[in-house]
Amino acid sequence: MIVWLLVLLGLGRAPTTHTVEIRGMEFHPAVLTVAAGDTVVWVNRDIVPHTATATGGTKWDTGQLTQGQAGRYIAHARGTARYACTLHPTMHGKLIITNN
Amino acid sequence: MSRSRYQAALMVAALVGVTSLRAQNAAAAPDLSDPEVAHVAVTANGIDIDMAKFAQTRTHNAAVKQFAQTMITDHSAVNAQAAALAQKLGVTPADNAVSQSLQSGAKQARASLERLRGAAFDRAYLDREVAYHQAVLDAIDKVLVPTTENAELRKLLTDVRPAIATHLEHAKQLRGQLGSPSRTSK
Repeated sequence: MIVWLLVLLGLGRAPTTHTVEIRGMEFHPAVLTVAAGDTVVWVNRDIVPHTATATGGTKWDTGQLTQGQAGRYIAHARGTARYACTLHPTMHGKLIITNN
Repeated sequence: MSRSRYQAALMVAALVGVTSLRAQNAAAAPDLSDPEVAHVAVTANGIDIDMAKFAQTRTHNAAVKQFAQTMITDHSAVNAQAAALAQKLGVTPADNAVSQSLQSGAKQARASLERLRGAAFDRAYLDREVAYHQAVLDAIDKVLVPTTENAELRKLLTDVRPAIATHLEHAKQLRGQLGSPSRTSK
């Protein structure tokens, strides 16, 4: 009964953390589905710096990540959030943010 | 053939020449020692950093300026990694014919770009960056990786390759946006 009440109140799922690795000049995975409230962490494994920067309406940016550094974003707005590396415009990724 | 393309062709010819020489002397020791490979890598990065710094003083195009900044940032990061690895391995980079060929080509490319301004400069700079990164990719694949004996140095070269390929695509994309001289010249 308590579990059902929590689900009905939207408290049934604790936010989780997802990791996107940046290696070989690509985001891995390039497309990631998360729930609103989840945290996405980008970890740069490349020698050269990268960013994960929103290219859509909602603005967010990890800033420059050197090798081994990580940046994070808490996914708020539901929908599709496209992003790119501002240093390397050929690198693209996408978050699909669903209801919690 | 434009001067920048001619320089790139000369550079590739020099690099391919080393490959041919190596094939002819397959039974002999590798043509480039690891210290020489390290020198070629550091030289190639340094040349592109210098060219990018010059481009930043010359271009008025924001996208070209940003591209040049990325070249400075990335090639500096690679050189820092190469220097750290050389120190770890106790390797002192050694000057050689390939490094000298790269430096000679860069000097002439710079002289050619010095004469240009505006959109003509942007196009020539990006043409040169396309040719240069293609030549470096060829050198990594055909000369540097096959010749390198040390596994860590070879891994560094392999790790750097995707960045060079991305730079090449970035330069091609930007060059495509600038269009042909007849459509963009004032």
